[in-house]
Amino acid sequence: MNTKLQVLVIDDDAVVGRSFDRVLSEKGYEVSTALSGEEALDSINEHDYDVVFTDIKMPGMDGLEVTERIKSRCPWTPVVVITGYGTQENEARASVLGANGFVRKPLTPEMIENITLKTVSDAAKAEVPAQDVEHMVEEPEAVNVNEAEAPKRANSMAKNIGLFFASPFIALGYVIALPFVGFYMFAKLGHEAYSKRHTNS
Amino acid sequence: MSTGHSGQKELEGWIKPPNPELYINPLPVRIWHWLNALGFVVLILTGIQIRYANLFNVLSFETAVKTHNWVAFTVIANYFVWLGFYLFSDKITVYHPELNMRKFFDKAFKQIIYYSYGIFRGEKSPHKVQPYDKFNPMQSITYQIVMLLVVPIQFITGIMMWDIKRFEAPIAFLGGIRSVDTVHVLIFIFFVSFTMIHAYMGALGHTPSAHFKEMFTGYEEE
Repeated sequence: MNTKLQVLVIDDDAVVGRSFDRVLSEKGYEVSTALSGEEALDSINEHDYDVVFTDIKMPGMDGLEVTERIKSRCPWTPVVVITGYGTQENEARASVLGANGFVRKPLTPEMIENITLKTVSDAAKAEVPAQDVEHMVEEPEAVNVNEAEAPKRANSMAKNIGLFFASPFIALGYVIALPFVGFYMFAKLGHEAYSKRHTNS
Repeated sequence: MSTGHSGQKELEGWIKPPNPELYINPLPVRIWHWLNALGFVVLILTGIQIRYANLFNVLSFETAVKTHNWVAFTVIANYFVWLGFYLFSDKITVYHPELNMRKFFDKAFKQIIYYSYGIFRGEKSPHKVQPYDKFNPMQSITYQIVMLLVVPIQFITGIMMWDIKRFEAPIAFLGGIRSVDTVHVLIFIFFVSFTMIHAYMGALGHTPSAHFKEMFTGYEEE
């Protein structure tokens, strides 16, 4: 099997998606990210994913609703719920909705790799004869990392370094803009309060 | 296919983080941090002695200059430990800018409200520290500007004043020794304030020593 395993990470915090991408890309997975449940469901309509990770607490549709919708559309897709707000109640709800795993932040690179491998392996065991499972799970690590991934990694490193050295200038822009944005927000709040009072009277 | 409908049995195999603590500051960052802290204190003290030699005389002028120069080169070398670590590790994202302006300002104002009000009421910081996202928005822009702009400018102006004759041309290009010296002293004043504010903010953890302890152990305390 030459195609890479497809992973979708749903989290409104882009840092989480980037972390998964950084860890799993090196292991031969293709990682896509979505910043909201709605965006993820659109993406799932167009692509098949081998594993989906979703945060629970997100603006709009939360991770549990996303899990429910994914499981109703394509129940064969493994879904792992990740959250910084792990409770027994959430675990139980995620389980009832059909989630294949539940894990609490913070996630280390090793955890990300192990969870992905375990979830893909479990899903593969459920769908194919036993002798094929090992083959399916081990392939993504071996094939693409050194050849096709090399230019991608070089690009990613150049982008990382570019952002690193651009950061103080972007930060200076934010520092200059901060009082203006603050003033705008105060003015907006004042205007809304005035309008509300005016309407009521 | 296993979909988790069997309740408790499914939960048994689920993976949980083994350690609730967060490993935020790896060893190279901790070594750099404390060497840098020590170096900055010595640079500030010897800098004051050099600049205000007529006010007090703890060290001779010559000793103060020599110490200032040697410690400065050590701090510069140490800076490259920091730079090398971040450039060649995946932790480089800690110093990446937030490109979503809406998200940045939203989080920044929440942090400002916390620093100016919530912190005095014992509320929790709106920023959750994570290994790849350890700075809140205000820390993030401050450290990006300090580490990648202010510190290098201080090094460059310092090196120029260390050997004025050798760096005659670049000094002239920057408007003469008076300009270079003014920039160096203004940044020195900034660092005196920064060091004090940094130490004060460091004492605002859930216990006064929590953040200091974290910079020794590397683990964020929850």
